[in-house]
Amino acid sequence: MNIIATAESEEQAEALLDAGVDTLYVGGHPFGLRLPRALALDQIGTIVQMAHARGKKVIVACNALMHNEQIEKLEMYLSQLAEMGADAITAGDPGAIFVLEKLTLPLPYIYDAETLVTSAEQIEFWLQRGATGAVAARELTLTELEKIQSKLDRPVEVLAYGPTCIHQSGRPLLTNYYHYADLDEQSDNDRGLYLRDPKNPDSRYPIFEDEDGTHIFSTEDLSLMGELQRLFDHGLHTWKLDGVLLHDERFVDIAALFVEAKKALESGTFESAGFSNRLRALQPQSRPLGTGFYLKNPDDVK
Amino acid sequence: MRKIMNKPEVLAPAGNLEKLKMAIRYGADAVYIGGQAYGLRSRAGNFSYDEMREGVAFAHSRGAKVYVAANMVTHEGDAEGAGDFFKTLKDIGVDAVIISDPAMITICFSAAPGLPIHLSTQASATNYKTLEFWKSVGLERVVLAREVGIEEIREMRRHTDIEIEAFVHGAMCIAYSGRCTLSNHMVNRDANRGGCAQSCRWKYDLFEMGGTAAKTLIPEGAEPFSMSAVDLSMLRHLPDMIEAGVNSLKIEGRMKSIHYVSTVSNVYRTAVDAYCDDPDHFTFDPAWEDEIWKVAQRDLSTGFYYHVPTEKEQLFGKPRKIPKYTFAAQVMSYNPETKIATLQQRNNFGVGEEVEFYGPGFAYFKQTVRDLWNEDGEPIDRAPNPMMTVTMTVDQPVEPYFLMRKK
Repeated sequence: MNIIATAESEEQAEALLDAGVDTLYVGGHPFGLRLPRALALDQIGTIVQMAHARGKKVIVACNALMHNEQIEKLEMYLSQLAEMGADAITAGDPGAIFVLEKLTLPLPYIYDAETLVTSAEQIEFWLQRGATGAVAARELTLTELEKIQSKLDRPVEVLAYGPTCIHQSGRPLLTNYYHYADLDEQSDNDRGLYLRDPKNPDSRYPIFEDEDGTHIFSTEDLSLMGELQRLFDHGLHTWKLDGVLLHDERFVDIAALFVEAKKALESGTFESAGFSNRLRALQPQSRPLGTGFYLKNPDDVK
Repeated sequence: MRKIMNKPEVLAPAGNLEKLKMAIRYGADAVYIGGQAYGLRSRAGNFSYDEMREGVAFAHSRGAKVYVAANMVTHEGDAEGAGDFFKTLKDIGVDAVIISDPAMITICFSAAPGLPIHLSTQASATNYKTLEFWKSVGLERVVLAREVGIEEIREMRRHTDIEIEAFVHGAMCIAYSGRCTLSNHMVNRDANRGGCAQSCRWKYDLFEMGGTAAKTLIPEGAEPFSMSAVDLSMLRHLPDMIEAGVNSLKIEGRMKSIHYVSTVSNVYRTAVDAYCDDPDHFTFDPAWEDEIWKVAQRDLSTGFYYHVPTEKEQLFGKPRKIPKYTFAAQVMSYNPETKIATLQQRNNFGVGEEVEFYGPGFAYFKQTVRDLWNEDGEPIDRAPNPMMTVTMTVDQPVEPYFLMRKK
């Protein structure tokens, strides 16, 4: 069992470790995508030491789509990460994987290309090229995930809690709209901007812009709290908790709840209704919880 | 005199057999098509194996190539049968397949060894190490992501010799291709399996939450937020593309008409030849651009090649008005003695209307329809029925497969 949680600062990293998460997920620009906060190398170094002191691990996000300029800087970054003892990176750009292969560093990678990771056969391709695991697309159903994990001997990471990115554009879509509409606005990540499809008045898609372009997220925060028994029974034991849109203690409290749920599962005392209720109480009002694609029938999405 | 020795290919879309033949007649060096599975255009006219055979035979007899797009991102079970598919394509003599999914690449290598593989733009290749990666896997060509700049392509060319294909013309996905699941989440249609509902083009409210109340940022009377891009056209900048080392110049649009495919292929063929034959004395002919505008459906821009697109390269609200031409007829035959052409009608036209004829090699003239006869040789005023055969006097010689359009 491995609970991976994003960490936005040294303080939050410590609190998450105290809460009992197994692995921290951190990163910075220009290599990590959509993080709650971009961290500098020395901050990452501190977090690695902190985690290792408690027998925990740190994965560093290198999952951006990289342009020439970025890929040229990556070699140095990876060497520094290896030197500071980072346990693994995530990578989705084949160029980044190519660089890593050539460096022969003691730094494993987990394949993470978001929406493009949708079958065991794809993941197998990257395992053959040295990946130690993969992050599954959020658009998969649990039926598909179970099938995928059953075919592989290495972990497939599943998003157990957090928002799903559903669109990445290289264009500054917000800035472009502000200019078009003559608005004097800022596209700050923390501003809390949303899109609504007028045909679906309940929709509320978070949107922000950063160095990597524009990112749009699902209306719901995914929660697999109600399905953890099923994940557990099918060998899907690697869960990501993503706090990209949720900061501070609230995210730590939610992580602590998942850690408690994990322990309950391991001791055979897990009872999903109670945990789901407690999660709902912690969840911000503005973000409904849902199960995304996980409980859909694979044939319903074509 | 300097000459470009490694002339890049002009690669045109072909939604069906008729478009494939037209694209090649109008100068395309290669076309890309879809089979009946594994592509991303589930609603495009896709090719049966028999149609592929005919298309490949036609292309090869004229020294052109045929690529088949199989760029779906497969879920469990989707790749079933793909081995037979690739094997059949190889037997048919298809020149390459366009794939983005590593599972499909693996299947293709094992089922159809020797069938060249091109990495689809869906895989978002944006740097030269990525190109080197795919070269090490055994791919022959990479179709670049649309987000790269011309300087980045030059840099890629300095670092790798794998073939580079880049888009030069047509509609553009607003997302880094493949990094969009708006359609999946909004209407259960998987964009990466051919079901894209173009949710990016819908109209959205843009708002922020103040406490529990939503406060819109859309000004009174302004167009809502949407994500549609103006189309790409690198026609004016082909010398940059060619000098940067692009091997294949790709025109987008398997859903587009025969009118579009013939016109755009014709223009790009002419411009590429003009530059490569004598790059140092090349001048841009404004007539090429006029041609492009006759089939343009949106404004045109240079995408990401020179700068990150601004609001000017996006469409808010209705597309800006642009001159539109309709495909009116196709020339079937011509009698030089009587100067009478036999035409197959494609859209209603009649006596008194001004029309244009155009043909391969940038042949082109305008005239007024002065006379018209039906199949029985009886004079008529209009040609109202689709596919009906009519004859008319033409001002200049034409040849079979010349097309006629009108405003």
